Amino acid sequence: MTCDLETQGGRRSIDFRQRGSVWEMTLDGRILSVDVTPIAGRRSLLIGPAGGPVRSYEVAVERRTNGERIVYVNGLAVPVWMVDPRERLRRRGNVSAETGPRSIVSPMPGRIVKVLVREGDVVAAHQGLVVVEAMKMENELRAPRAGQVSTVKVVEGMSVEARAVLVTLA
Amino acid sequence: MRKILIANRGEIAVRVMRACRDMGLATVAVYSECDRAARHVRMADEAIGIGPNPPRESYLRIDRIIDAARASGADAIHPGYGFLSENEDFAAACREAGLTFIGPTAEAITLMGSKTAARRAAIAAGVPVVPGTEEPLAADVPDAVIVERATQIGFPVMVKAVAGGGGKGMRVVGSPADLPSAIRAARSEAGAAFGDSTIYLERRLERPRHIEVQLLADHHGTVLACVERECSIQRRHQKVIEETPSPVVSPEQRARLTSAAAAVAASVGYTNAGTVEFLFDEQGRFYFLEVNTRIQVEHPVTEMITGVDLVAWQIRIACGERLTLSADQLLTPRGHAIECRVYAEDPDAGFLPSPGLITSLRIPSGPGIRDDGWAETGTDVPVFYDPLISKLIAWGEDRPQAIARMRRALLEYEVRGIRTSLPFFQWMLRQPAFLAGEFHTEFLDELLQRRGVEGFSAIDPSLEEVAAIAACIADAEDASAGRSASPTATTDGRSSKSEGWWDRPALSWKHRARVEALRG
Repeated sequence: MTCDLETQGGRRSIDFRQRGSVWEMTLDGRILSVDVTPIAGRRSLLIGPAGGPVRSYEVAVERRTNGERIVYVNGLAVPVWMVDPRERLRRRGNVSAETGPRSIVSPMPGRIVKVLVREGDVVAAHQGLVVVEAMKMENELRAPRAGQVSTVKVVEGMSVEARAVLVTLA
Repeated sequence: MRKILIANRGEIAVRVMRACRDMGLATVAVYSECDRAARHVRMADEAIGIGPNPPRESYLRIDRIIDAARASGADAIHPGYGFLSENEDFAAACREAGLTFIGPTAEAITLMGSKTAARRAAIAAGVPVVPGTEEPLAADVPDAVIVERATQIGFPVMVKAVAGGGGKGMRVVGSPADLPSAIRAARSEAGAAFGDSTIYLERRLERPRHIEVQLLADHHGTVLACVERECSIQRRHQKVIEETPSPVVSPEQRARLTSAAAAVAASVGYTNAGTVEFLFDEQGRFYFLEVNTRIQVEHPVTEMITGVDLVAWQIRIACGERLTLSADQLLTPRGHAIECRVYAEDPDAGFLPSPGLITSLRIPSGPGIRDDGWAETGTDVPVFYDPLISKLIAWGEDRPQAIARMRRALLEYEVRGIRTSLPFFQWMLRQPAFLAGEFHTEFLDELLQRRGVEGFSAIDPSLEEVAAIAACIADAEDASAGRSASPTATTDGRSSKSEGWWDRPALSWKHRARVEALRG
């Protein structure tokens, strides 16, 4: 079987075959043997080339939406994206993220401190749109790309829920 | 004193309760609605609800906290840090209600709360201050007069709020022409944040270090100073890593610095715990900055190298006990200690707050490691308060060992469900300038600016391969176990935190300021 995925360092393809607790994996032309033992929501992995040194890792994998997985290992939270043919269009770097209408949403409940744009304004990528106070901090929400502001759905002083649409870009 | 009410939440409430329990004192927790199940409530002997979630309706309600103390029969109140800890009205209200406020007097809080009054006290005690205006500049002082004063002080000059803190109402001005607009901006910001728009001027030191001295002062005239803390690793004027002793302070400088700090406190009859903050310039000269009249977030590093429980001594001093500690013990560093402030925030998205449910938490331990926290598996970090989850402290025989132990502990620390600043600390503790002890208060902001957008969790490419293998195995096992291989919500079901990397630009929030009132 084959598993295609992406890490921050780039695209990877893993061929694998499972025999009991041992997984034979081929990665970048190298053959690895991975011994897997589950322990309460985590897995112990012993990774090594057949006959070579065996490295020990403890990992936990958390599923997110859009094929994202967060892999907890050595105190870090490493993101990995599973590449599914149905999702390929939404991949990082795909042009679809750069065109089409885009909604800017509040990532958490908060209060609108300042609205920096008006409907019809042309904005540059990373230009500030709205300042929201949440968790005792003022945060500037910026444009994901250049475009024209089609709607502004909030006014200063308004409280907003998580995921509330604040501004849309045409 | 038999029973203490802790007018706070989170890690400091837990910290104070631990000291109370060590001393055989009963504890009373107060809580807002969302904190009903919080650690400090479950840990306390008694607990009383004081209102809705916004701080001004609960943890900042002096009347409700005094009522709770009366209803529970508490003798004393410990304010922790943040919230009401430096509020003179609260200290006075405690006194009027016959309760012991575990901290300095209301008068000392008032005096030190005014930055210009504190500067005058330092000058009177013979302690150098950063050149600046000794009197506050009220709103009716004309611009021309201010420009003249600024020219005498020398540019670049800082415009600061008299009631200020946390960078609010603060402006750096390079030339006389820019001063009037900076004054207007600082006044309006200070007025909005503190209800007081008076400002003052101070010369801006280039690349200073922030070094501070912890004091304990009893009611019998004894003031003791501890080995200095180095707090120059700051992000947007907020401390991120603290350590003690400072890598650059010599024994001679320590002697002068600590006696200057004690002199300021003694000259105003200060009591209980407090911290005198100094700026160090590149020539090693120090200047008084301000006094913090509370226990500070970073107090554990001092405890680790002096062997003293500062919170327990706050309580003993408030009971009227004499300080029986030896001055030598407090001024001789026993090893080295470092603290990392672990926040619920996403370092890969501009340190955006990351509240929500912690699905799994594993806290490191072992030689030299201390974790002062409050969160557990199942804790829902609320959006209403400071997102500090814990303070991870490492002690070593010397600085390299303390750093090595901190790095080891960071490898063991696992917080799942929300993002934290932990990956940032792994990166920070590998920076050559940090390891060399060569930094100043703007060092981290400059470093982050130069760094680019790579995720902090990508610091080790070999781990990316392990992560890929782990994700592949998890998906294959899920698929064979019959679980849908299609994307599903995470265990906590919060789609708001499930954005992919490619969506990050929409989430690139930029922090402007944090409200100092809620920070230690």
